[in-house]
Order: sequence, then C-alpha cells, then structure tokens
Amino acid sequence: MRVPLSWLREYVRVDATAAEIARRLVVSSLEVDRVIDVGVADAGDNLSFLRVGKVVVADKHPNADKLQLCQVDVGEGEPRQIVCGAWNFGVGATVAVGLPGVLLPGFAAPLDERPLRGELSRGMILAEDEIGLGTDHAGIMLLSDSIEPGTPLADVLPVREQVLDVTPTMNRADLLSMVGLAREVATLCDGELIPVAVVDPPILHPQWVEVTVESPEACPRYLARVLSNVTVGPSPMWLRARLHAAGMRSISNVVDVTNYVMHVYGSPLHAFDRAALAGGRIAVRHARAGEEVQTLDGTLRRVDERDLLITDGERPVALAAIMGGANSEVSDTTTEVLLEAANFEPIGILKTSERLGLRTEGSNRWEKGVDPYLAEPAAVLASRLIVDLAGAELSGSADVHGGLPDRPVISLRPERTDRIVGLEVAPAEQREILERLGFDVTDGWDVTVPTWRARDVTREIDLVEEVARVVLDRVPHTMPLRRSVAGHLTRDQRLRRLVEDVLVGAGFSEAYTWSLVASDPDPNAIRLPDPMSGDQAILRTTLLDGLIAAASENVDAGNDGIALFELARVYLPVDGKLPEERWRVGGIVAGGFAAARGAVEVLHDALHLDFRPVRTTLPFLHPGKAAATDAGWLGELHPALLDGAWGVFELDLVELTAPIPERILYDDVITFPPLRQDIAVVVAEEVEAAALVDAAIEAGAPELREARVFDVYRGDQVGEGHKSVAIHLSLQVPDRTLSDEDATVVRERVVAALVERFDADLRG
Amino acid sequence: MVRSPGMDAEALEREGLAAAAAASSTDAIEGVRVEYLGRKSAIKQALREVRDRETGMALNAVRQRLEEAIDGREAELARADLDARLTTERVDVTLPAGGYERGRLHLITQIRREVEDVFLGLGYRAVDGREVEQTRYNFDALNFPPGHPARSPLATLFVNDDTVLRTETSPSQIRTMEAQQPPVYIVSLGRTYRRDTPDATHSPIFHQVEGLAVDEGITLADLTGTLDFLLKKLFGEERRTEFRTHYFPFTEPSIEAYVSCHICDGAGCPVCRHSGWIEVGGAGMVDPKLFEFVGYDPERYSGFAFGWGLERIAMLRHEFPDLRELWRNDLRFSRQF
Repeated sequence: MRVPLSWLREYVRVDATAAEIARRLVVSSLEVDRVIDVGVADAGDNLSFLRVGKVVVADKHPNADKLQLCQVDVGEGEPRQIVCGAWNFGVGATVAVGLPGVLLPGFAAPLDERPLRGELSRGMILAEDEIGLGTDHAGIMLLSDSIEPGTPLADVLPVREQVLDVTPTMNRADLLSMVGLAREVATLCDGELIPVAVVDPPILHPQWVEVTVESPEACPRYLARVLSNVTVGPSPMWLRARLHAAGMRSISNVVDVTNYVMHVYGSPLHAFDRAALAGGRIAVRHARAGEEVQTLDGTLRRVDERDLLITDGERPVALAAIMGGANSEVSDTTTEVLLEAANFEPIGILKTSERLGLRTEGSNRWEKGVDPYLAEPAAVLASRLIVDLAGAELSGSADVHGGLPDRPVISLRPERTDRIVGLEVAPAEQREILERLGFDVTDGWDVTVPTWRARDVTREIDLVEEVARVVLDRVPHTMPLRRSVAGHLTRDQRLRRLVEDVLVGAGFSEAYTWSLVASDPDPNAIRLPDPMSGDQAILRTTLLDGLIAAASENVDAGNDGIALFELARVYLPVDGKLPEERWRVGGIVAGGFAAARGAVEVLHDALHLDFRPVRTTLPFLHPGKAAATDAGWLGELHPALLDGAWGVFELDLVELTAPIPERILYDDVITFPPLRQDIAVVVAEEVEAAALVDAAIEAGAPELREARVFDVYRGDQVGEGHKSVAIHLSLQVPDRTLSDEDATVVRERVVAALVERFDADLRG
Repeated sequence: MVRSPGMDAEALEREGLAAAAAASSTDAIEGVRVEYLGRKSAIKQALREVRDRETGMALNAVRQRLEEAIDGREAELARADLDARLTTERVDVTLPAGGYERGRLHLITQIRREVEDVFLGLGYRAVDGREVEQTRYNFDALNFPPGHPARSPLATLFVNDDTVLRTETSPSQIRTMEAQQPPVYIVSLGRTYRRDTPDATHSPIFHQVEGLAVDEGITLADLTGTLDFLLKKLFGEERRTEFRTHYFPFTEPSIEAYVSCHICDGAGCPVCRHSGWIEVGGAGMVDPKLFEFVGYDPERYSGFAFGWGLERIAMLRHEFPDLRELWRNDLRFSRQF
C-alpha cells in the first residue's frame, strides 16, 4: 500500500521525518519497500512559486486560435498575463499557477517569462499532471472558489509529497489503513493520535432498506446505507490528489469516496446504483452451481456453491468482497446509491479469489481478516463525504449482524515478557506500549485486546510479541547458556562427506539435479497428481537421468574432462506409507567403463571395503560392460542414451556403508618383509580376473597375502580366444622372513590350482 | 715415480699437496690419490720399510695430511661437478604440469557444510529430515491456520491429500521434538519444494537451513546473538546485523534477519536496493502451540527457530544473478568455487 505522508499526518501528530518514521516502522511494524518523493521539489524557495490564482480576464489569444490569453490574480495586487492552452475554465475560475522561477517535475530548467505567439506569458496555469497530482492533462485544475488568490498552493494541495510504500505481514490487515498506521507511528515515534473527526449526516426522509444475509458465517455483518439525490461527477482536486498519491485512479466522486474511506479505515466499501437493484434490495448468499456473474471489469465469471455473492434477490450484483457487478455499477446517471460497508470472513474470500485468479484492493484486505467493528465508522465517513461531495442526502440505513465479537481479555505477566525476550522492559513501559497500541490494561494486568487485533492477539505470547517488536532494536545479542553440549555428525553424515570428498579428489565435480523427473524406470514411482509440468511429474527412483542430462549440458557447453557425481535422495514407493527416502551416490564420467570402475574402486578403498563387482546386464548399460555390486551398479552407459563412451555408476549409501568395519585392527606387515613373485598364465578369454585371483589366494594360503592382476596381454603369442594374465603375488607371514624355498612351494601350489581349475598354461 | 728409501718426507708432502691443489677434475684427483697414497706410492713403501718409531710417526702424519688434502679437494671437485650439472637442468617453472584432476563440491554443499560446521561448533546436531512429508508435520503441527495460502495447491506440491513435498525444513523440528525431550539443539539442511515458476530468483526445488534450540531460558536475545554469529561467519566479521519484526505461523515473536550490505557496507547500492541492508531470512521464538503438539511444557521451556534459503546466501555472497546456474551443472560455473 502507498501511504502519502501528508494524509497519514492527518491522523497523527509527530515530529519525525519520513526517513525516521520508515526506520521505526521497518523494525517494529511492517516492511517499507521505499520512500518515494513525488510532486514538486521542495528545494530552496521552489514551493513559493506555486500560488492559487483567480482568472479575471480570459480572452482568445489574438495570434493563436488554440490559446487563451488570461489575466490572473495571484495576490500581487496587479493580475498577471498568462497564456494558456486549456479551455475548461473561464473568468472567475480558481486555478493553480506556477510563477516564473518554479522548477516543475520533469523539467530541466525553471519556468521563465517569455512571449508565446507574441504575447508575454508571466507564469503557467497548471494541469494536475504537471505537478505530480494526477495523470489528467485534458484541462487545467479547477480549485474550490472559496480559496483566496495568492494562497500558497502547498497549503491547499499536496504539491510536495513523500509516500511510503509498505507491505504488512498477513496478520496485520489493520495496517492496510491510514488510521492503523497512524497508531503504529504514534506508538513508535512518540506521536499523538488524532481521531477522525466526522459528523454522521442526518436522515431527513427515511426509507426502508431491505438486507437479508443467508450466509452469516461468510458475511457476519452487512451495513447498508442509502444516499438519495446523488450527483455523480468528478472528485474535487484534494481527493483526486490523495488517491493519485496512494496509487489509485480517480473514477467519480462516489467511487473515489469508497476507495478513500477504504484507505482511511482499511475496511473496503462498495457503492451500488440502487436503481439497478430489484426492489432496491440486498440479499447475501452463496452462489448456485453454474451461476454466472459479470464483474465490472467486463469479465463473465462462472461461480459455484463455494463463492459468496451479493444479489438483489433476483440476480447477482457483485462477487462479494472481491468485485462489483457490471449490472449495478455507479454511473453518471446514478441518482440513488446503496453503500455497502460489510464484513466478510477471510478464508472463503481467499479461496474464491485464488480460484478465479482475481485479486483486488478489497480482496487483499478481506483475505487477511478485517475488524467487523470498522464497518460503521467507514459507513459514516463515506456517507458524510458523499453527502458533501455529491450533494446527496442520507435516506436509509440497515445493519445486519448476529452480534459483534467480544474483545478478548488476556492475562499478561510482565516478567514473562522479559524471560522470553531476554531484555528487561519495565512493567510501566510494557503497559504504555500496549495502551498506545489500543489495548486496555487493568492494574492486575488483564489486557483487553482492541477489536482490530482480536483475530491475531489471543494469547499471552501474542502480547509479549507486541512489546518485543516495539523494543526490538534494544534486544541484546547473547548465546544460549548450555548445561550440556553434544554437537556431532552422525556416522552416516560423516560418511556422506567422505564419499563426496573422495570423489572430488578423484576429479568429479558435484552436480545437483532435480528430484522431480519426466519419467522413471520404476512403474510404481510416485507421480504427483498435479505437477507443475510434465518434466517434473515423478519422484525419481534413480539419479541416472539427471546425471545424463548434466553431462549432456556440459558436452553442449564444450567443456572437457567431464566427471560429475551427485549424492542425493531417491524416493522408493512403499504401499500406503510415505516413500522410503534413500541416499544414493551416482556418477557419470567421460572415458567409459574403466573410468567408472576406477572411481568406484577408489571409493571402496577409501571406505575400507572390498570391491567385488560381478557381471550383469541392465537395460541402460552397454551389454558387455556392466557390473553389479552389493550396493548398486556400474558400467558403460548404453550409447543410445548419450553419444560417446561414458562411465556411470549408482550406489545406495546404506548398502555401501553397512559393511564398513567399525574399527581397523593393526596388521604387522613391517617386521618381516614380504617376498614378491610374478607369474603369467594363459587362459581362455572368458576366464575373469577375479576368478583367477580368488583361486590363487585360496591355493596360496596362508603365506600368500595378496594376488593382483597387473597386466593382460592378447596377441599372436597366446593364440586366438586366449589371453595372458600377469599376476603379482605377495607372500608374507607374521612370525618369520620367508625363504626362496618357501616361495617356490607356494608358487607351485598356486600354479597347480590355476592349471587344474582354468586349464591355465604357465608362461615363461 | 720411483724413489729411494731415504726419501725426503717434507719434499714429498709439499709435492703431494701441490698436486692435490692443482687437480682440476675428479679423475685427476683420483690419479693424485693413487700416486701419493696408493699401494705403490712412495709413502706407502717407506712406511712398509721404516724401522724406527720416530720416522714412522712422522711419515704417518704426512700420509694423514695428504689424505685430508686429497679428500677435501675431491669433495670440492665433486660439488663443482654437481653444481655444473644442476645448472644445465633448469626447467621452466611457469610451465603447468597437470596430472591431478580435482573436482568441486557443489556451491550449495560448500555453504551447507559451512553452516553445519558453525553449528557443530556451537554444540548443535545436524538432522536429516524427510522431503516427502505429511501435511500433519508440514502444516498442522507448525500452526498453519486453515486457509493459509501455503496450504493451497497453488503454492505447494501435493503428493496426495495429506502428503506434500515439504515446503520448508521445519517439519524436522517437530519430528525431532517428538522423538526427544529438551534440551534440543539441531540444524537441518536440505531440499524443499514450492510451486514457483523457475526464474532468476525462484526455483520449485531449493535448499533451506533450519535451526532449532529448545531449552530452559532460551530468549529472543539468544536468537539474535546466534544469528549475528552465523551471519558474520558467512558474510564477514565486519558485517552488522539487524532484526525486524515479521509474522510466521510457527514462531511468536517472529523476526527477519538482515545483514549490512557487503557490497556498499550500508551506503546503498543496487544489490541491497539502496537500503544498505540485505534480507537473509526468517526466525522467531517457537510458538507455544508447537510445544503443545509435541508435549513440551511451554512454561518450563522456550526455544527459537530459523529457516533460511541457502541459494539466497550463495547468490548474495558470490554475486551471480541467476540461481538456475545452480541446477545447470555447467563445469564452467562449478569450477569457479
């Protein structure tokens, strides 16, 4: 909401500047997005060049058909000659005049005296847009004839304005009003509240106003007033200027009054052309299925049983609390107005507004919950203004409600405030804060909540907050006093960090990919009933698709050395329960199977795990380059999924880390050094390295500690369908140094086993 | 050279010392050593033939002095040889060698760890919450009133009527408090979800850090003190912090934390929208309703909580304009951090 300060100051007397007010509000009340300067610059004596003038002569310019040549009294004794292009005034009009020397907004230099078509013009008769009071440039501003010529314009119009652009939190509908903000400013800046001074117009010729409310739970109060003999026309300049500064467009005196009063009290109003209401009647009810209402923006809207309507008993005349109906809109020909000052419950309004995608100044307030007591002062002020500005007569009033809510009474312990805030605030100060905010506090600290806070302040803690927010900038910075401290990462958390760090050390960069995907290999994967898009419809059960997309993104970017991993959750469906959220680590790396295997191998090594992959087939992997482990899979990505040779893997963190030994026991490999031997055997192509190593270890036990394949050779010397596998043997026992004779015996055992099991042929 | 037994030991020494000093290569000094100290050298022969003690001692002293001189000269020459070789082995030290490829942690992971480590140091535990969560934990227990906009499918991704993708990390607060009695000091970091159309500052998937402290005597001042500490660790010790009133259903009083702009230091610039302050995120004192839900006594215990977006911290600190970079996984982005 835009808050013109000159308007706000009508309700609070305070010395603070705009910047000081904004500082206090921003800490203790609501967001102030910015402070905007509008209108004519208040520098030097600039404002003194703006005067009220009276036109004493208005003739056609002798040399130009489109110009008037005027003599204007600006209180100097002698009138000034001014050339003017507008024709919406004549002799006797009271106008706004800019004298030579004034710097107007949007102009590079001050106004000077100069001849226009041969006639000297010693000033400028102003249109509202020329001094930032509006957007109208159809004619010059016409002021009330009661203002004396020569009066400084700044005394009668907000030619210089500062506007706070504020956004209250959703619990503070009361701050969407001048009166509510004035109360905050008075509390925070030691100001004095000025009550709205208004006298309700008398009802001289009463008439019956029929109002029925069929849905009191949605519309707890409906106050209707009838104003007769209304003359709809433009609003006076002061009203147009205020609405403009508050960011609203002037429409007509009657509509402008409803908007003005909404800004004053925060309780929205609506004006109907009563002649358009059947029987001049109002009936509030929920819509019927399939019913339609044409709102005054011209849109035909289909509503249903959840939406609240204002009707005249025969047809809808407004979408309650959100927008009036086109059929009952106030127009130039309206002579009788039914003024609605009602109260609506927030939730229904919010839902209708969301459903229809229609938000208005009115719905924005109703959906936050407006004080039902405000309907009456709003109706009084609006009636007064319509009577004064549109020559109307108040002729009827009805107020339908089933009793207004009582003000809550809450007991406050002032020491409780101190205990929660961590700052001592003297009880007298707490009392003063609450009272300034409109709370009544008894000697025994029973606190009665004002009607405009009754929804929001219902408990002692809410009162504590009222005090806390006012003293917030005095709250010190302390740390909790701890009796015990136990900060630590769990085993799983530490291991996740380790996995990340090992992969980073191995050259992989971490990727973050979306948990919501377009498709998933698991047909039972959880599908969102109402996803944002088809690309984000399913909770993934594998990280692979995201990683392929991430690699592809990098290929397109022309990056080299692509190696990516992700450590994130997948969501495994469980019948009738929340899904099982499992941590997985997945990777994709240029370089095919070997690159993936290398990464998974180093990961196992870092975690002190045996790595024993076995051949497998998976639809997304190269059929000859795919392996399974206890924790997942690794392999070469099927080339149909992404061009090039890509190593990929995905391992379940729980499965992967479960076998990690709790502690590692020392093994003496230092006292008696190992004896090393290499052998090479020729075996059939299909014999796997792991089988050879397993057989060697089994046959070489206990002296053989380690057997490791270090070379595989294929070629003419070993023949078609065969390969030569070189194995490094390391022999060691804990209690003595082995001799060459020992080694020969073990080696013979190993070779014999390989010959027998794999038909191996010892080379060399 | 053959010499008579009645040789002149002094002359021999002079000659030998001069030869050693004159040797100009390791080969030459080796020749000197053979000539003067070898098995066939005059001094060795003389020593073999000497019969009286006095002459023997004198000869031995000569031999020793020659040996020292030759050793010394040899070491000098060897060092000179080494120096000469090393001067030819000069490399271009500015030439990159390569060989070690290093990956990068994702920027959000780096910040996540920073925040975790700050709180581990303050004696907090890190808790992994669920991402797919019951509305009971995501809304009801957190005191979201019926009709709160967050409960709308327009704001939240629903899995079914009573299950959502968590809209904040706060459900982990409730689950933690349900599972244990105070004191509770936890942080919870992870993915959260909202129905926001992706743009430069929004993503339907984002990350939050949630903090919760519940104990006897926890105050709003403890909250501002803790956040002040965290913000200085994240944005620099010279930063100032400010706390402003706010509203959240699950905290009362509620505040929002601001840090003085690290670009302009409060003078006003486009990053802080000329206010000098940057909004970091929400916090507040745990609403007593939450304690009722988990069965804590609100008269005995009080607590604070906060929940901040990690993307926002990353963008503010590293000044990149579009958070979608964090999901694009382009190595040209990752390798900068």
